Amino acid sequence: MSQISLRKIAKSFGDTTVLNDVSLDIEGGEFVTLVGPSGCGKSTLLRILAGLEAADAGQVEIQGRNVTAIRPADRNLAMVFQSYALYPHLTVAQNMMTPLRMRDLDRVGRLPVLGPLLSRTAYRKMRDRVADVAETLQIKALLDRKPGQLSGGQRQRVALGRAMVRQPVAFLMDEPLSNLDAALRVHMRAELSELHRRLDATFVYVTHDQAEALTMSDRMAVMMHGDILQVGPPNEVYLNPVSLDVARFIGSPQINTLPGEVNSAGGLALLGVTTEARSTSVRQAVTVGLRPEHLSMRMAGRFAGTVRHIENLGADIFLHLEVGGAPAPVVLRLSPAEASGIGLGASVNFDFEPGKMLLFDENGARLSLTQTAREVA
Amino acid sequence: MPQSRAYLWFIGPALMLMFVILLIPILIAGGLSLTDYSLGNTGAAFVGFENYERIFTRSTYEKMFGATFRYVFVVVPLTVGFGLGAALLIHSLGRFGDLYKTIYFLPVMAALIAMAIVWEFAFHPTIGIINATLERGCGTVLERWNWYAQGCERTFPLWLNDRDYAIWTVSFIGVWQGFGFNMVLYLAGLTSIPPSLYDAAEMDGAKRGWDRFRLVTWPMLGPTTVFVVTISFIRSFQVFDMVEAFYPQGGGPSKSVFVMMFAIYEKGIQQNLMGIGAAITVVFLAFVMVLTLIQRWLVERRTHYV
Repeated sequence: MSQISLRKIAKSFGDTTVLNDVSLDIEGGEFVTLVGPSGCGKSTLLRILAGLEAADAGQVEIQGRNVTAIRPADRNLAMVFQSYALYPHLTVAQNMMTPLRMRDLDRVGRLPVLGPLLSRTAYRKMRDRVADVAETLQIKALLDRKPGQLSGGQRQRVALGRAMVRQPVAFLMDEPLSNLDAALRVHMRAELSELHRRLDATFVYVTHDQAEALTMSDRMAVMMHGDILQVGPPNEVYLNPVSLDVARFIGSPQINTLPGEVNSAGGLALLGVTTEARSTSVRQAVTVGLRPEHLSMRMAGRFAGTVRHIENLGADIFLHLEVGGAPAPVVLRLSPAEASGIGLGASVNFDFEPGKMLLFDENGARLSLTQTAREVA
Repeated sequence: MPQSRAYLWFIGPALMLMFVILLIPILIAGGLSLTDYSLGNTGAAFVGFENYERIFTRSTYEKMFGATFRYVFVVVPLTVGFGLGAALLIHSLGRFGDLYKTIYFLPVMAALIAMAIVWEFAFHPTIGIINATLERGCGTVLERWNWYAQGCERTFPLWLNDRDYAIWTVSFIGVWQGFGFNMVLYLAGLTSIPPSLYDAAEMDGAKRGWDRFRLVTWPMLGPTTVFVVTISFIRSFQVFDMVEAFYPQGGGPSKSVFVMMFAIYEKGIQQNLMGIGAAITVVFLAFVMVLTLIQRWLVERRTHYV
């Protein structure tokens, strides 16, 4: 039995359909990322899971219990918001204590001044719990400050802390890193993964950043236009995308797509060059996807292009080549050593690793490829 | 390099206007309050603090403070409370919100003098709608209420002309007239609360409306509340036109509605006792000043979150 399952969730706002019968099962302890371009419905799906939004149709189950009609507060989930949504009038400690106060105290215990006096043990327990969590997140020094006095990264931690003080069934995160600067974002990725390992809890993470999805998740669900296109481990989604949309969305720089054709015998011609690859289907125009790292510069390469732009990332150099017959520049990854001496306007020959070729039909669906093993010179 | 004096040209006009139309008149009022000056007199005698002494000892001024504070301490809490209540109700409405907004805001826009005439008719002891309505209730269970039974037996109160009722009736009209303004301010405050805070409150387990109000709405409205309360205080201290419309003869039954602004007008303008009028003005100014300082302090200390 899975921890969380979403069954055929549908939602539309007015005439706009946001989710078409989306289903997803999430196992306990898993880090699942919902990734997709903005407007694909990923945040809506998360909010439906949280209960903050009601689905038009479908069912949400948490630990085998149907919670579709149950309000968010009773679903025992914790959520980290993109804007952090900290209570600005409360200190960090009070912010983190709020979920405990709301859930564990009776009405008397919540009274403003009398509460802490009357339920002293409960308050001591809550303070200890907050202190523990603050220790884990290294924000002990900030406990007496107000959110307004914190930096973005610190607020992020406090928001995490507020989610962590109780033991929820799952942590839901709605683009929690998107308000941080680039360096901190990369750092927090590692920290979140580490936190996930330590807590051994279920994380459902929404992002539009494919890099976050690739680096952190156990499984990622790629969403587009209200549908989940593919669910799988990052590596699988990256290397074996089910459709052209997924292939294009995952990976940076984007996958190169070149026009090709399959002849009646199943042989594949790419940019007019017949290749050793064989497709199981016959006679149609196809799109060939090749990732920049699967292209290499070779003297005897069968393809040639002119360097139009050089992108230097330090460890990697990306060459943007103008290739006759290709609709967009072809991007090629090189090591700095290989790239030395190549200038703008230079003519470069290149070839690809045949096993890495991805074939898509006219509608963007993946076609299988049977390979004849032949070493390319 | 010679220092540029351009800044003088930037602040100069504002500074000059502030001196000419604010600070100098206040200083003159302060000066006049120490004399027995009357308009038209060529000179005036310096009387020291005699005017102030009078304000704090004579029974007329005791009545003035009584009426003013009664009015202020009824009208301020009620206009703020009703303003907040109406704003919360309207904010929770999907449809018809604009309609209610307009209805509640109408009294604020209406000319108070005209409204005073309407209310005068409504409260008229014989032809007024209020007492006529109350009389309809005679003979029903309402008569169990002692006050009501007495009203049926004799007559219902002369709302505006009985000294036990006058100030409360005027306060009621003040509330009716004023809360729409506070409602609009609160509505603006409510729309600026980020919805994600309510989501967070819900996730944190704030299930009852009251919990969400305590956790999110009320604290987030803090700055609005400070502003609304201060504005309401100042507006209620300033009440004048209604009193002038109801009681042009001065201060209502037994001076029970002799509010400060009216006192300034009566002393300074009608009786041409500029000295005492100026003294009341200075006291009035002191009240407003104290309120403003409290507001500044609250805004900076208590509700300035970010």
